[in-house]
Amino acid sequence: MTQILQDKVAIVTGAAKGIGFAIAKKFSESGATVVLSDIDVDGVQASAAQLQNAEGVRCDVTDESDVEQLIAGAVARHGHLDVMVTCAGIAAVNPLVQMPLEEWRKVMSVDLDGVFLCTKHAGLAMAQNGGGSIINVASIKAFGGSPATGHYGAAKAGVVSLTKTAALELRASGVRVNAICPGWIGTDMVMDRKGELEQVLGVDFEQVIAQLQGRLGTPEEIGGLAVFLASDRSRFASGTAYNVDGGATASLP
Amino acid sequence: MELEGKRTLITGAARGLGLAIAELFAERGARVAMADMDVPTVHAAAAGVGEGAIALSCDVTKPEDVKQMIDDTVAAFGGLDVVINNAGIEISKPLPETGDDEFLKLMAVNVGGVFYGIKYSVPALAQSGGGCILNMSSVAGLAGVPLLGVYSASKAAVIRLSQTAAIELRDFGIRVNAICPSFIQTEMVDRLVEPFEAATGVGFGDLAAVAQGRLGTPEEVAEIVAFLASDDASFITGSYYTLDNALSASKQ
Repeated sequence: MTQILQDKVAIVTGAAKGIGFAIAKKFSESGATVVLSDIDVDGVQASAAQLQNAEGVRCDVTDESDVEQLIAGAVARHGHLDVMVTCAGIAAVNPLVQMPLEEWRKVMSVDLDGVFLCTKHAGLAMAQNGGGSIINVASIKAFGGSPATGHYGAAKAGVVSLTKTAALELRASGVRVNAICPGWIGTDMVMDRKGELEQVLGVDFEQVIAQLQGRLGTPEEIGGLAVFLASDRSRFASGTAYNVDGGATASLP
Repeated sequence: MELEGKRTLITGAARGLGLAIAELFAERGARVAMADMDVPTVHAAAAGVGEGAIALSCDVTKPEDVKQMIDDTVAAFGGLDVVINNAGIEISKPLPETGDDEFLKLMAVNVGGVFYGIKYSVPALAQSGGGCILNMSSVAGLAGVPLLGVYSASKAAVIRLSQTAAIELRDFGIRVNAICPSFIQTEMVDRLVEPFEAATGVGFGDLAAVAQGRLGTPEEVAEIVAFLASDDASFITGSYYTLDNALSASKQ
């Protein structure tokens, strides 16, 4: 693979598996030094061990001091931070009228507070260093209703809004901020909840996916866009939410 | 190379964005057919791009021209993998001052050209086992723009055509996306300087700096086009990819 991320230092949160790991892997293959972080420290260290120029560190993205340490540590060990990918996220399945407040708060905390904290501290570190690229992993659920995952959709809508604000606030500092909005991707997060989703929504999952986006996407198919947005090839791209969804959002029906 | 062997057809390729796209695609290993209605200029441009590039004459408002352009590309390259419907024109006048013929002509080029480019490339792309169509829209297609009302409407239409085509062509393995750049250093944008300065009383450079930090470059647009044409974009279809250094971020 072309080494278009040569000399770049990148952090990827939620990198033990799924989309986060696929992004970290593509970054490593493209020449970046990659700090993989996850709340699952054993998992993330095992994942990092499979990659070149990579390390695995623990980080709870809902804890501000954890996030500060993650970023300060990366800068201390590698000299600078060029790319921040906020991929840590969780989901749960419940209609709004049955959703416990605790569950709402937990999803908002990881999926939105976590992105805020990472954007805040990475944005600061990058602005002091002349620029960088922040890539927030949102979802196409940011744009429409999100039946059975209302907290997830609301959090992802928040991520898109936050991305645009950060892009405007940080433009003069050379920090670019974009969001990636995947459609349905065949990760554990999705596949582990397939049965629950079918039950709550009363649909056949495979049928819905086929109609909506042809097939499930793969984590690697998100990684390609992340590499582009991390690279200098996208130096004029900021403030945009980029969909990767097989056409799921292209039509009304 | 990332676009190795991709047989690519680009309209409006004599200058500006189309030329920059042709240059980058050739550099990354693609075979490029460069079409334009300005025949001498596109021939010179293709010669500059290199041996592998061919120049074609095409007025995208004429379906027979578009069909011929596609047939010629298939004949030269043995197939077709990527079509970039880039040809476009602008009008920079308030709507009441825009001529009726000017309106029809712009729509014929910017919307009709994209429609024909999609419609007539499908058989060739399907024959190649799938492929990719990229349509040049604009951030002007995302909202209204004083002085660019007709252009803006045409670019909104390009987004909608791309979205519908993406769904209709998914089963053929053809991906369809639109690209929405903001103000880029091209001759088209040079022509906007005077009317925009006259209407706003502000220097164009200052307007651009406030809205998008600086003018973008044709090479920067070519990069996002190259990404969308690459296999790395295999799950991206039916989308419009904005490239505007946050120009639209405060509104959209």
